[in-house]
Amino acid sequence: MSVDAGTRPPRRGVPLIDGVEKVTGRARYTADLDHAGALVGRILRSPVSHGEIVGLDVSAARNLEGVAAVVTGDDCPYTYGVLPIAMNEYPLARGRVRYRGEPIAAVAAVDAETAQRALELIELKIRELPAYYTPAEARAPDAILLHDNKPGNVEREVHHQFGDIDVGFAAADLVREETFSCAEINHAQIEPHASLSEFDPLTGRLTVQTVSQVGYYLHLMLARCLDMDTSRIRVIKPFIGGGFGARVEALNFEIVTALLARAANGKVLMELSREETFITHRARPHTDIRLKLGMSKTGRMTACELQVVQRGGAYAGYGIITILYAGSLLHGIYDIPAAKYDGYRVYANLPPCGAMRGHGSVDTRHAFETLVDRMARELGLDPFAVRRANLLHAPTRTVNDLVVNSYGLPECLDRVERASGWKERIGRLPPGKGLGMACSHYVSGAAKPIHFTGEPHAVVHLKLDFDGGVTALTGAADIGQGSSTMVAIAVAETLDVSLDRVRVVSADTAVTPKDNGAYSSRITFMVGNAAIDAARKLKELLIATAARKLEARPEDVECENETFRVGHGEQSALRFADVVAAALVNEGAITVKGAFTCPPDAQGGKHRGGAVGSTMGFSYAAQVVEVSVDDATGQVSVDKVWVALDCGRAINPLAVEGQMQGSVWMGMGQALSEETRYLDGLPAHASMLEYRMPTIMDSPPIETHIVESYDPNGPMGAKEASEGALAGFPPALVNAIANAIGIDLNELPATPDRIMDALIERRRKARLSRALKAAS
Amino acid sequence: MHAPASEPKKRLLRLRLNGRWREDAVGETQLLVDYLREVAHLTGTKTGCDGGECGACTVLVDGEAVPSCITLVARCEGRSVETIEALATQGRLSALQRAFHEKLGAQCGFCTPGMIMAAEALLRDNPAPTEDEIRTALAGNLCRCTGYVKIIEAVRTAVEAGS
Amino acid sequence: MSTLLPTFRLAAPRTVAEAIAARRDHPAARFVAGGTDLLVNMRRGISSPDVLIDLSGIDALTEFRIDDNGVTIGAGVTIAALARHEVIAARYRALAQAAASIAGPGHRAMGTVGGNLCLDTRCIYYNQSEWWRHANAYCLKNRGDTCHVAPQGQRCHAAFSGDLAPALLVLGAEIDVLGEQGLRRLPLSQLYIEDGKAHLALADGELITAVRLPPAPPASAYAKIRTRAAIDFPLAGVAVALATSGPAIASLDVALTGTNSRPFLLAGTDALAGRAIDDKLLAEVDRLVQKQVQPMRTTLTSANYRRVAAAALARRLIADLRPA
Repeated sequence: MSVDAGTRPPRRGVPLIDGVEKVTGRARYTADLDHAGALVGRILRSPVSHGEIVGLDVSAARNLEGVAAVVTGDDCPYTYGVLPIAMNEYPLARGRVRYRGEPIAAVAAVDAETAQRALELIELKIRELPAYYTPAEARAPDAILLHDNKPGNVEREVHHQFGDIDVGFAAADLVREETFSCAEINHAQIEPHASLSEFDPLTGRLTVQTVSQVGYYLHLMLARCLDMDTSRIRVIKPFIGGGFGARVEALNFEIVTALLARAANGKVLMELSREETFITHRARPHTDIRLKLGMSKTGRMTACELQVVQRGGAYAGYGIITILYAGSLLHGIYDIPAAKYDGYRVYANLPPCGAMRGHGSVDTRHAFETLVDRMARELGLDPFAVRRANLLHAPTRTVNDLVVNSYGLPECLDRVERASGWKERIGRLPPGKGLGMACSHYVSGAAKPIHFTGEPHAVVHLKLDFDGGVTALTGAADIGQGSSTMVAIAVAETLDVSLDRVRVVSADTAVTPKDNGAYSSRITFMVGNAAIDAARKLKELLIATAARKLEARPEDVECENETFRVGHGEQSALRFADVVAAALVNEGAITVKGAFTCPPDAQGGKHRGGAVGSTMGFSYAAQVVEVSVDDATGQVSVDKVWVALDCGRAINPLAVEGQMQGSVWMGMGQALSEETRYLDGLPAHASMLEYRMPTIMDSPPIETHIVESYDPNGPMGAKEASEGALAGFPPALVNAIANAIGIDLNELPATPDRIMDALIERRRKARLSRALKAAS
Repeated sequence: MHAPASEPKKRLLRLRLNGRWREDAVGETQLLVDYLREVAHLTGTKTGCDGGECGACTVLVDGEAVPSCITLVARCEGRSVETIEALATQGRLSALQRAFHEKLGAQCGFCTPGMIMAAEALLRDNPAPTEDEIRTALAGNLCRCTGYVKIIEAVRTAVEAGS
Repeated sequence: MSTLLPTFRLAAPRTVAEAIAARRDHPAARFVAGGTDLLVNMRRGISSPDVLIDLSGIDALTEFRIDDNGVTIGAGVTIAALARHEVIAARYRALAQAAASIAGPGHRAMGTVGGNLCLDTRCIYYNQSEWWRHANAYCLKNRGDTCHVAPQGQRCHAAFSGDLAPALLVLGAEIDVLGEQGLRRLPLSQLYIEDGKAHLALADGELITAVRLPPAPPASAYAKIRTRAAIDFPLAGVAVALATSGPAIASLDVALTGTNSRPFLLAGTDALAGRAIDDKLLAEVDRLVQKQVQPMRTTLTSANYRRVAAAALARRLIADLRPA
């Protein structure tokens, strides 16, 4: 923790700069954009889980009146994917389909009825192949391969070892090993996927307005898949109705819509149904975990052995990163002297998984924090004490070479312990009530981007013109998290101008500088730093101008509240507008550029995959969850959550609270009720009814405590605030259930039927042991 | 899909939309949400699911909050329909809109119009609801960003502003 | 973009007689009241009637009368109106609780008593999109010949999940049914059949017009299990009506929903009259429930859980209704 933590007054919260648009209904999301005259796009999807396409005849569809274009895999021989090293997916299947719902063909027609009718006219013949829905089936020796170059249907194996685990386990007083199973879940952002593409045959230009979190990735994939020069493509982000990782990768329907627009020489609007949005997926995989932990009598961890198997779905997507994160983010939160990690990302005939809030870290954290709690119980130690026995001391490097520069976890622990009344209440609650706690963390942006080009990690442009308005241009996508507001605050404060003077233009590849986009909680740290850098340069320029006008040295000019002055004399004060006017003389409109680059030493260890998990700063969280469990019905209700998050410095405390509540709550959904199962490869939860995200009736008060550790490299000391608190919820819940009814759950989500099964099993065992006792 | 028994028929529909009477030729199979978005060009009302499951399309029909994605527009003949676009009047946000803005009741904003309309129906009927009553009134509106904490806070703030 | 619905004509009768006549003229027509169930199914292509007969303009269906003979509730009364009715809340508590717990407030504002009684049965293989069902070769309930829940069986196991029916069953409700042959009145229990594909004993073109409740019902309560505390259909719902005489049972009725293709009154509770409400009795009720419910894999939540939870709810409701 840095020395001055907690000594500065909290900053003032600011409503979102685009909030008025949202509460008035004026905000235009993709489906709301002007699409007069646009064709309607629709996708034909595979009805089978695995098979060879032996016949695909689209002639009848093409000849139907009102159909402008039909595209198939023949129209795009290029693969796409988010990782340059693992692009193994076609926007429209070529030769083979690998999951139910995979796009095969698409039509653009004058209206939805005609488009639907055209789909029905497409003749499709598929020769079915065996399909695998679990990693065990897919890894069986006789299983046929989904991808010829991936033996055993394993996309990526990771084997890492740091420190000497044999020594560690030998030194332990208690060694325990458990297996955990976490269901696949989905982002389920409320806005269904949509894309509006326009191809102008006269100029050869393509304009795509879409739901992407990373317009840059989509831009690259459009150029690749349409074989177009990148300079002829423009990707624009309208308002976006949430993402949570769903829209980081370029998605098949976005490329398909562009293919249709080009084939039709026009404009195509593709709106996916909720079911199709679920099938597009790219979310958190089903994960099986085996975890072994060694601990001393005092709760000090001595060694850890982790095995993770992720069911990745039919294509690579983000899989390699996810399986690497699952191992690397075991670290960075506690001092673990020795650890071994074996990770397996396995293909299956299901929609591809991808990145979701807390990417890769959540299920590992769940297993870890749950097992730590159980071992603490066995050793008679308090859960808080065990965490405190294993804290890091910043600045430091972990065994797997992650840098930790700021570390507010100790204060997070203190805050939630106090706020929840833990010491007074634990063990004294009425029957059926319980308290549980857990910690978590997350990266403030990946220190090494997946497209490593040598460019800075973030670039922000500021434009200052005759009107005195400051326009911040950033490629960073505000998807509802408030990143544009953060940029506006960073710029306004650095310049010391009113927030209203700053306008943010976000994510239009024709206008804004390239950005790696909204993922891995990178925007505040990286784009925030770039914005401050740009604003400092602009301020320097304005001060130099003011100094010239005031006939003073720049270092004597002060700028406060849009006024430049030397000393306190009013005669020597210049208004902002005057300084801008003077600065524009002989120059015209001013543009400055700010940039941010993560230094190489923060980019992870030299071992294979060592870059994944590396970051300039980790956020830290601790939370306490209070539950009531009905042991007659197995129903769990969450009564209250106390959460503390070290986000370095809360640039906008209102937004930080919102992110903390939202991430804790999303963790609650995964812990309590959300899962995506399949029936022979058909999605069983592809609706807002069957995908059971909590309603307002299920959602507890979440009390937030912001902890500020002032990261030495963060903008104003800030780190990320949107993901770090998520992963602590599921283990805190499971620990609270154990506290309430003495049931140790190893499976997520903790649905009533799973709780009931555990209760029945316990009763059965009790009866058995009574019978054995009676017999002996 | 079955063949139609006869050609789809359009009918002249008269309804009061955001305070103004208007007439449109509408298909008998047209849903209210599609009428609002495609005919009246009021895109504040959102579609978030495949029918009746998320509340994003909530509008007021004769003052009651209903999902417009499972309401046939033809059944709104002679009725009053209100959408999010009607709430800000004379250059001022409504108390609910202001509270949702200032208290961060909206993050991505996609569920917000439906959420505000459901809250609007509640406050017209019950200007001083308890927290339980607020929760009950918003129980059909899903939000993926906020955890509902600041939504409840926003509604309470609007209640206080109105009292 | 416009949502695709099967093409249909909309008829808007002003009287029940006109509604019955419209149905006679269009045998493939469907009545629609609130539309919260039918419109969702139509959007998924499960149901595609050529004519929809809109009942919402028929004033006679919204009658709500309370007199010495009891309560008459028009089939067109909305669930929201039922839930907030003071007399219902005071005297027919199970019904008020059931009404207040249905789906979300928007559904309750639109949905009607008649619609909820006639709610289509539900199944994870049935309530899916056209693409989904087509990929799964459809099912016995809709265009297919196999029940995926019980492929060896001969019938459809889709589950009924209306909330009002069990409450009305334990309160001794009767319904008025109007058809070509005139009006008939029957106990609500006779409306339902244990067949997921055809669970309503209504003749072609018949319409439920009203529900009738006796004037002085015993104390009652309703509770259900679902994954979330709103929106979801019940995995199991239980209504109980209990009259006591001193510490002993005078009459006990238990009805269930969500577990079978029909809501039904638990058999065997008559034999419990005169008994004290103690743990032994509750255990017997538990056994009765577990024996008589027939949950199948129609939901993603396990059938056994629904069985056990239904029994637990019945026990709890009886214990809670027991005089202090």
